Amino acid sequence: MIEIGFLKKENLQAFLKELSGRYSVYAPVVEDDIVSFKPFIEGREICLDRPANLSPKSVIFPQCETLFSYSFLKKAENPDKVDVKLEEKMDFRDTVIFGARPCDAKGFNILDRVYKDSDIPDPYYTGRREKTLIIGLACSAPSPGCFCVAVGGGPADKEGSDILITELANGYVLEPVTEKGKAMLQSSLIESGQGYLQEAQKKQEDTKQKVKNPFTKTGKPQISQKIFNDDGFWERSLSKCVSCAACTFLCPTCYCFNITDEARLKEGERIRTWDACMFFHFTLEASGHNPRPTKFNRFKNRVGHKFVYYPEKYNGVIACCGCGRCIRYCPVSVDISKIVDDLSETNPEESNLTSNGGKA
Amino acid sequence: MSIEMLRDVVKKVLEEVDVVIGYTEGFDKIHTTPFFIDTPEQVDELIWNPTCVHNLATYLPSLKKKVGVVVKGCDSRTIVQYMQEGLINRDNIKIIGIPCKGIISVKRLSKAIDYANIEDVVFENEGKITVKTDKGDKTVAMVDIMPDKCKTCQYPTPVIYDYLIGDPIKSDKPQESVYADIVEFDKKTPEEKLQYWLKEFDRCIRCYACRNACPMCICQDSCIAETREPHWISQKLTTQEKFMFHLIHAVHLAGRCVECGECERVCPMGIPVNKLKRKINLDMKELFDYVPGINPDDKPPMYTFNVDELKIKEHKIG
Amino acid sequence: MSGVDPKGELRIVGFLCNWCSYGGADTAGVSRFKQPTDLRIIRVPCSGRVNPLFVVKALLNGADGVLVSGCHPRDCHYSDGNFYARRRLEMLKRLLSFLGIDNRRFHYTWISASEGARWQQTVRDFTEVIHRLGPLNLKREA
Repeated sequence: MIEIGFLKKENLQAFLKELSGRYSVYAPVVEDDIVSFKPFIEGREICLDRPANLSPKSVIFPQCETLFSYSFLKKAENPDKVDVKLEEKMDFRDTVIFGARPCDAKGFNILDRVYKDSDIPDPYYTGRREKTLIIGLACSAPSPGCFCVAVGGGPADKEGSDILITELANGYVLEPVTEKGKAMLQSSLIESGQGYLQEAQKKQEDTKQKVKNPFTKTGKPQISQKIFNDDGFWERSLSKCVSCAACTFLCPTCYCFNITDEARLKEGERIRTWDACMFFHFTLEASGHNPRPTKFNRFKNRVGHKFVYYPEKYNGVIACCGCGRCIRYCPVSVDISKIVDDLSETNPEESNLTSNGGKA
Repeated sequence: MSIEMLRDVVKKVLEEVDVVIGYTEGFDKIHTTPFFIDTPEQVDELIWNPTCVHNLATYLPSLKKKVGVVVKGCDSRTIVQYMQEGLINRDNIKIIGIPCKGIISVKRLSKAIDYANIEDVVFENEGKITVKTDKGDKTVAMVDIMPDKCKTCQYPTPVIYDYLIGDPIKSDKPQESVYADIVEFDKKTPEEKLQYWLKEFDRCIRCYACRNACPMCICQDSCIAETREPHWISQKLTTQEKFMFHLIHAVHLAGRCVECGECERVCPMGIPVNKLKRKINLDMKELFDYVPGINPDDKPPMYTFNVDELKIKEHKIG
Repeated sequence: MSGVDPKGELRIVGFLCNWCSYGGADTAGVSRFKQPTDLRIIRVPCSGRVNPLFVVKALLNGADGVLVSGCHPRDCHYSDGNFYARRRLEMLKRLLSFLGIDNRRFHYTWISASEGARWQQTVRDFTEVIHRLGPLNLKREA
């Protein structure tokens, strides 16, 4: 029984192909220089050098999902009576996400607390989540803007993955994290990696040292109540925001959604799509009133949700995994880590956050 | 042009306006970020170099105060277009123009250095950049990592300004090069073109970064792409709906796009959003002899008409 | 939605201005001129009401062809609506071919209320062209 696995680099495509026989495999595919998680088809070029533009969140929590479809039926004998037919399709396939970074994998744990481990679990999310295995990939180097170590994570953090892969010169060391992950190591393409484990762990430690911690005063997010509630601070810091949703849609931990009925004459669907608290319409009420009318209110809510409200509800866990995508892809380079740093309060009494550093 | 010249002018302008918008260092050495200055102490954080890529004029219509703004040549066209459409009050704005030899494209530069982490950037003479990364140093030529708009730039010197920092620069790029890639693309077969667009738009995630970063898109929160009365496009994420969204965006910018390139720069999925708008601009130039953002007294072609259109011939069916 | 229906019809949408072109189509009808039935008419007050996006939305949602018709330039019921229409629709026609959609699927013309025979000829010719080009099949799911 292999405890630690090793996969030679030249066997990677073959391993993914073997997995696709049993699972629906999503891997970071590169096309036109854009890396995104797409279904693995043999021959598709995989890129493990840099994180994907979009997190793999959409594999378990799709950007657009049909909850059910409906149609109106009439019979010629009784034209006054209209029957409604509802159809719900919930067939979820066994899935593997290959190559998710530790920050992406942590993102799923953040979503789990809301959608799966709650009093009323979401059947669509839970159905997919329980059938999905995550093979995480430890980072070889930090990416611009990322800061996982400062929010309770790390470039080789095992939280959320079923197996963690570390890339070495000629292959990948596979460390199982869960029983499901261990079972996957029993493949003919995987040999014992026990001899490589130390090298992998050293590499992980080296990379951890390189990740920047942006919270210069406090080491971890510790938000001052006073500055947080000062409207002037938000106006000064966020004048440049253009209120799009790039940060939200690329974020591994954002989970808000919108439900709309798309109706045609005799049939339609109810669909659930991603929504972003950065949009004006997010809090727009039917009366026309909007409690968050300006982008300053909205960004304050974004920071508040990730660093104050979610930790308050869920035992101090921060709903930001430090992946840095929002910083890299923001049209005007709004830097959430700098804003949280500017909000820092060294005295824990004056801070909003129940401080345990962010680890669950 | 020196950074001291810029800072001195900004200090002077700050006495006449409520806020000046400029550039300052971002989260790493190749990223700058817009900087809203309202005190003289902040002026020392102003910078200017080829990483100042943003179009700062886009903030003007929403700021209801006296504003000073730092603009490059392409950005200044935005201000002229705003004046044509009556979207700003020229008296409340002080324009600080900087002649520009070209900026970098962050996407192209990152690719050129193999996506390594950047420690420092040095702008050498003769149009070269040396990037110090965690994997070693690399020198690239500006011309290899510029966005396409810089390679065909016709207006390196701002077309409108109150202060000009540095000497005016004349464009050395031929006029025909501006739309050469559009003409080239149009030569493909219809099937090729359709497949190209379907593939590009399929990547779209409807984040609306292109729409929000566009200076001429001023409807923002009332955009018809999001309204439900009337229901132009649904929330479903099919290629068809995404195609429709991009066409809505392009058609609403017909004759108004100043080709600042922000839409393409901000797209997180690398979609060539600007191509459609430049095609329409090419048609506007051919049909109505109109170039957006040059003359404040012009009228955008879709807002006006001629009783006799010499260049529009009646079409035959088929 | 798009595609040949059992009667062999394709879907052609027509935007006709209320005053001239709709009147022209009416004249054709009153005079019993026979036309193919693929074209379905949407009446608008003026060709200037036609947003180029109407044409795009029609083509993207299953139409195989779109025809827009208004008063002759200088004869617009509202004086200048069709001058604007002419500019917008010309812009759209050139854009369609750039997208890879055959721009023969979109046609705009000027037909007055008395030109019933001309209306009949236009519908016949346009329908024939669309049948020759075939269904568009542009509806794509993600």
